[in-house]
Amino acid sequence: MSTRRQWLKILRGAQMMLFYLVVITLVFVIIGPVFFVVSLSFLSAREAYSYPLPLLPALTVRYQLTHGERGYMLSVYDRVEKEYIPVLDTDDLEKMATYMRSRLGTSVTVQDIEAQIARLQQEDPVYFTKRANLLHNYTTFFQITRDAVPSLIRSLQICALTILISLSIGGMAGYAFARYQFAGRDLLKFSALFVRMFPGIAIALPMVIILAKMGFYDRPIGLSLVYAVGNIALTVWITASIFMGIPESLEEAAEVFGATRLQAFLRITLPLALPGLAAAAMYAFLGAWNETVAALILTQFNPTFSVVVYQSLVGATGQINLAAAGGIVMAIPTVTFTYFIRRYIRQMWGGVTL
Amino acid sequence: MTAQRKSAHLGKRITPYLLVIPVFIYYLIFWVQPVLQQVIRSFLDPTTGQLSLESYRLVLTDPDFIPALRNTAIIVVISVTMEFFIALFLALIIKRDFWGASIFLFLAMLPMALPPVAVGAMWKTGLTTNGWLNSLLHYVGFLPEGEKIYWLAGSTWKMLALIIIIDAWQVIPSVMIILLAGLQNIPKELEEAGYVFGGNYFTVLRKITLPLLRPTIQTAVVLRLIAAIQIWLIVIVLVGFSRLPVLVERIVYYHEEVPRLNISPQMAAGYTMIVTVIVSLAALIYLRLSGAFSRREGG
Repeated sequence: MSTRRQWLKILRGAQMMLFYLVVITLVFVIIGPVFFVVSLSFLSAREAYSYPLPLLPALTVRYQLTHGERGYMLSVYDRVEKEYIPVLDTDDLEKMATYMRSRLGTSVTVQDIEAQIARLQQEDPVYFTKRANLLHNYTTFFQITRDAVPSLIRSLQICALTILISLSIGGMAGYAFARYQFAGRDLLKFSALFVRMFPGIAIALPMVIILAKMGFYDRPIGLSLVYAVGNIALTVWITASIFMGIPESLEEAAEVFGATRLQAFLRITLPLALPGLAAAAMYAFLGAWNETVAALILTQFNPTFSVVVYQSLVGATGQINLAAAGGIVMAIPTVTFTYFIRRYIRQMWGGVTL
Repeated sequence: MTAQRKSAHLGKRITPYLLVIPVFIYYLIFWVQPVLQQVIRSFLDPTTGQLSLESYRLVLTDPDFIPALRNTAIIVVISVTMEFFIALFLALIIKRDFWGASIFLFLAMLPMALPPVAVGAMWKTGLTTNGWLNSLLHYVGFLPEGEKIYWLAGSTWKMLALIIIIDAWQVIPSVMIILLAGLQNIPKELEEAGYVFGGNYFTVLRKITLPLLRPTIQTAVVLRLIAAIQIWLIVIVLVGFSRLPVLVERIVYYHEEVPRLNISPQMAAGYTMIVTVIVSLAALIYLRLSGAFSRREGG
């Protein structure tokens, strides 16, 4: 009997070990690639093209300055090689400062360099440390990528319009779903599910002509009209479940006290539904923000931010750390909103049923 | 008085229709209309406007069509089955609440929630020869000094394997969450009863747990299937156009990369129709399985 109990104990222990092993491995496998790409986006241009890549961003950069053949010889400490590597030999201090800014990721002025050169008279070589500008790749990405800033604004416009369209139209239907029995309920449920699963590209391609006729081609409103098609189904589903959770008796009580149905809805139900509606809005934001293929097809001179990042990735002529920075800017709002609506997403994945 | 009540009653009857009519109108204009136009256009000759099967003939005789169909099919079949079984295995091991569960679930949700372009950036920076993956392998001592793995060079099969692995990275955690939610909804008593009546772990799994999990599994698998059929961005970002043709990549190729070829509009239209038909079939099968056709009360 006691040996059996011991065996059970061992078995349970093994189970726990397996459990923790799986959980920890999963966390590392998921976080790993995210960590490395974030880390890469913080590297200076010089480091990003060295091999092997340093896998942690440096907070400071160590320099060595001495007399060179053409003027002053600048060396930078390489974290992988663990030694000072000569990088530039010049007497043009302006050039040196620019180099330190754009290639080595440190904000340095000519005065800073002059101060170090003054020290050369006492000691040779001179060693000094500068704080690394971690966001260097991000600012460069927005500076050198044509359209990066306007496209970011455009993407935000598209998201706002998509939220507006799908929340107003879908929210009304969601309310009807929650409160009324009506003929056509099943038809709506069926078509919403089907439209949700329908390939977006099959809507985007013919929409080129339709939007051109409406004068909406290559404009934010055009894309949000297309994005709302798939989003409405989700909004109906989310808002229906929100309104179902708010007892109808509250509205009826308001009506007893003389409010109209609309007033009852606006004063009682809507405030209670706000958190859920915010979740639906964030969901619509995610859909519109992340989408790329319809944006690629339905824009020409006014791309969205996802298209700009996509193009910097596809046409990447060695500026891979910049593309990484762009990808991370793309991911920031996504991760934030996903955190806020994680419960809804889980329900959604667990079964889209209306 | 009665007239007023009648009108109130009528108002109550038409309110739901007033509320849902915008959705129907919206779907008519922005879904039915474009889809119908697309279908009609795919059967017309673009220059003469006559009825023609030219788009379909062009696509079906395109030397890249069979590879595109085959590659898509391979990605779909292998990804979906492999991801499902691994996710089920993981869900069965985890299958309980634990300290930190909510943050773990959020992390597991991330890969799927990330924008496709961010995932593209992640693996492009990883898989280039000087990327973080080779660097990592170097630091852990797996790659000797000066040796590199050329991840993105090589045969179609290697590319397919890479795409499938990346897709697995993105998808397995979230399928696992779906199954986990399904598992936690199964009343404990049912499985316990299975053990009481002499079942071992596997009979209980096969006869009780999996059948109860069936609706969850159906949803997860079909939604994954639909997403996998439309894979394109990661393929283009990693290997470029035409090296590993897949269906949606062909559409983007003809619409964006070579839009000025004579055959481009027809090619894009033809491939779009093929994707539409395949995805619609998958969606219909799913709706049928999930009982959306049978009229149920409530819902």
